[in-house]
Amino acid sequence: MRLDRRQFIKQSAISSALATAGALFPGISFGDWSRLAQNNSVISWQKSPCRFCGTGCGVLVGVSDGRAVAVKGDPNCSVNKGLCCMKGYHSVQALYGKDRLTKALIRRDGAMVEVPIQEALDLVAQKLQETRDAYGKDSVAMYGSGQWTIPDGYVASKLFKGCLGTNNVEANARLCMSSAVTGFMTSFGLDEPMGCYEDIDHANVFITWGNNMAEMHPVLFSRMLAQRKRRTNVKIIDFATRYSRTSQAADKSIIFRPQTDLAVANAICYEIIKNDWVNWNFVNEHVSFHKGKTNIGYGTEDHFAFTDKAESIDFEDFKTFLEDYTPEKVEKISGVPARDIKYMAALYGDPSVKVTSFWCMGMNQHTRGTWINNLVYNIHLLVGKISMPGNSPFSLTGQPSACGTVREVGTLTHKLPHGVVMNEHDREMAAQIWEVPVENIDPKPSYHTVEMFRALDRGDIKFIWIQVTNPMVTMPNLKRYRDGALKEDRFVVVSDVYPTPTTDIADVILPAAMWVEQEGMYGNSERRTQHFTQIVDPPGEAMSDTWQIIEVARRLGFEKQFSWDQSDYIEKIWEEYRRFHAGPKHEMAPYSVLAERSGVQWPFVDGKETRWRYNPRYDPACSNGKDFDFYGKKDNRAWIWARPYEPAAEFPDSEYNFWLNTGRVIEHWHTGSMTRRVPVLHNAVPSSYVEIHPEDAAELGVVNGEKVKIISRRGEITMPAQINGRGVPVRGMVFVPFFDESYLINEVTLDAFCPISKQPDYKKCAVRLEKA
Amino acid sequence: MMNGQQRHSKSAVCVALLGVTALLLVSENVRAESSVPGNFDNQGAKIFAAQQDTPQVYLDADSGGRTLTDFYSLRQYPGSPPRIPHEVDTSFSGNETNCLSCHRRGGYSSEFDAYAPVTPHPENTLCYQCHASVQSETLFVETGWKSIQPPRLGQSFLSSSPPPVPHSLQLRENCIACHTGPGAVAEIRVSHAARGDCRQCHATVVQSTPISEFERK
Repeated sequence: MRLDRRQFIKQSAISSALATAGALFPGISFGDWSRLAQNNSVISWQKSPCRFCGTGCGVLVGVSDGRAVAVKGDPNCSVNKGLCCMKGYHSVQALYGKDRLTKALIRRDGAMVEVPIQEALDLVAQKLQETRDAYGKDSVAMYGSGQWTIPDGYVASKLFKGCLGTNNVEANARLCMSSAVTGFMTSFGLDEPMGCYEDIDHANVFITWGNNMAEMHPVLFSRMLAQRKRRTNVKIIDFATRYSRTSQAADKSIIFRPQTDLAVANAICYEIIKNDWVNWNFVNEHVSFHKGKTNIGYGTEDHFAFTDKAESIDFEDFKTFLEDYTPEKVEKISGVPARDIKYMAALYGDPSVKVTSFWCMGMNQHTRGTWINNLVYNIHLLVGKISMPGNSPFSLTGQPSACGTVREVGTLTHKLPHGVVMNEHDREMAAQIWEVPVENIDPKPSYHTVEMFRALDRGDIKFIWIQVTNPMVTMPNLKRYRDGALKEDRFVVVSDVYPTPTTDIADVILPAAMWVEQEGMYGNSERRTQHFTQIVDPPGEAMSDTWQIIEVARRLGFEKQFSWDQSDYIEKIWEEYRRFHAGPKHEMAPYSVLAERSGVQWPFVDGKETRWRYNPRYDPACSNGKDFDFYGKKDNRAWIWARPYEPAAEFPDSEYNFWLNTGRVIEHWHTGSMTRRVPVLHNAVPSSYVEIHPEDAAELGVVNGEKVKIISRRGEITMPAQINGRGVPVRGMVFVPFFDESYLINEVTLDAFCPISKQPDYKKCAVRLEKA
Repeated sequence: MMNGQQRHSKSAVCVALLGVTALLLVSENVRAESSVPGNFDNQGAKIFAAQQDTPQVYLDADSGGRTLTDFYSLRQYPGSPPRIPHEVDTSFSGNETNCLSCHRRGGYSSEFDAYAPVTPHPENTLCYQCHASVQSETLFVETGWKSIQPPRLGQSFLSSSPPPVPHSLQLRENCIACHTGPGAVAEIRVSHAARGDCRQCHATVVQSTPISEFERK
């Protein structure tokens, strides 16, 4: 019996229980968005940067009946050219979680009670004033965020540094990119990347340094994949401590032991010099050599202080320094085969190949974070692959305005919107623009983030106002800092959009407007400032963080400095702030231009954006008449640093025999307070887990989903094992995503930090495992 | 049985496809040296490899020759292995890799005047283990079998957002295989496969799993 194909299909169609399945939904197909968008009511589209990561994708928010109902990638935005990731596409749903904070709450007799927001703001101002009067100006603190809008951070700095005279202003970006800042400052004298995302369209080789871009910067990663597909000469090299989605996509994946990226980077420089791949014209004209202090410590003790001291060396000294880092010696330290080190060196060294290096938390959350940033710049500088399309050492950020608000506005204890508090000229400039006496601005930095929470624990700080961040999930060695915040006479104010473990410890909760419920600006990883208008109304009494600070400032008597009208305060604040950055090295676009465009890159000079800094073909600030001008440093050169390999603060031993690494998954952003309220994202990854190598899991006797207890010297946590899931750690390492407040992995992590940047290392501490 | 001319064209197709297969094997061998484990993240490496290895013209091509009706008519429940809808030359029995000569990479078959669907799991070479051929159209006894409805298409969470992947990824890890090219089912074909990282936008939310909302504990 034989059926022809058509008869067969007809026959089976009749007998199949699912015969009508295909006919149930005729005509619906993937990609047919315009059809799906035909709702009853009209949608209007307005531009905004995405709420989530530092990539800074342009999105178009669809509004219908006063509600955000849809998202499209903004085709006019050069960052993403109309594409988003799953978080961006569903971002507007994060506005509408059922437990949105809409009323102010204050703690009375231990319980949180609703009050009118004006009453809560009265209490905040009163407590701040009382604390300051009783314990001094440095007993009050502001802890903000790389998710602050630029005006949020600006008014916070103006109030605390300019008016209240304390440098107790920090932001969570200290935890995510301060090593990038100190890396830029020590190597170039000016912060933020020289290149831009367009480098992706020109590079032949991408090397990701401890950077799972496929999940963390997916839109940039798929741009790389599209380039690899389109051009035949493109390679992606994944250099990592754990196998990830990026490893799967890469042409080659090279695994190194945690912390030994320092040694490998030096070995690459050794090979470049040994094979005479040095670009001598570039090095002779544009580079100077330096060394700093060594054995610099880890900051695990209170009041830890460190100041680096630069000493000039010459090329021969640098060459001698590198003799400890032959590929063969470094193979023993790093576990990276010497041939792979030579392979990477050859890619950097080949003059016909354009190389872009990408990194983010792997290099920044590192007890030698400043050093490893320096070392990757060293490689690019030795071969002169910098400040040109496709040749780019590229430090990515993780938050939408870590660059815009924290690095550019300077919401860190030592910073001012222009320069640092230690510099008299910078203080004078700030005092003049802020209309405050210059004596108000304290020339001494106070507490960086970890030390700020230690000071809260010790009682040196009694009042802290936390905005747009969730430190009771994200602080390393968390238990100490939560216990400290809960002590008897501490007063904690939290401005946020949802209840979190941080609002749980608050004495006052202020409901905040979120993202496009207010006007504001973000600044992304490539020096791009991105303006958004208020697109929908905030719920209930929710108020922008900027306006909350203005309200409190006025109550404290600073009406003159905070005199703006609610109708145009963002524009006025921007134009005041912009004065700090006047000049070709950092000129910011005027408000009217920002409002028009889907992001504008600074320096914005004579109506033009600067895509590659330090290169006179693109950068109008270059003035030395040469092919490059590294004008950030007084010697007009980029600095190569001799920085040695030093071990991690804590590493596996016989008692605690595993590395613990922490991080993210594509679905969730940071502590999940927004993304977990987006149904599609929550359903895709509803809870956290610990990734274990299959052989380690077998030895431990656990299978997928069984509970494992992770124990460190700080604390312990029990959570389900995941084997061969999203990523695979190497043997002897476990990895935990930190988005889930039910599994506070930071109770286990260590609060060691880079002594130069003060950024903690969330990627390395020692734990042991037990089957639970 | 086939006439001479049909045989000739069939072998020509096979030769052409074998050439492509050989190339693919070379590139797979290169990857085999990689230290990256093969079996994690739902074998996502397959997507990246397919995006890279499939010619752009093939990713973009569309024949409209297969519909969801065809697709589900061969299955007993959503996700079941489809039966083989065409005759299988008995002389090939015991040599299953011949399925892969057409179904590994797809392509036009003059014998069937159609584009071969691409298998998402070509590493499983014992095709007949799961895919049954049809030798008889009559049933031994009538069946009372019923199953659930297949996942609805276009179930985006927002009107403008990419629909999540509604099915389990087990044995269907390689999105490119089924969702691109002229052999793809018309209703689920995508036109933007060159972006390469499908799961950047399409979260996996299996439709047969209850939807839950996040609640603080």
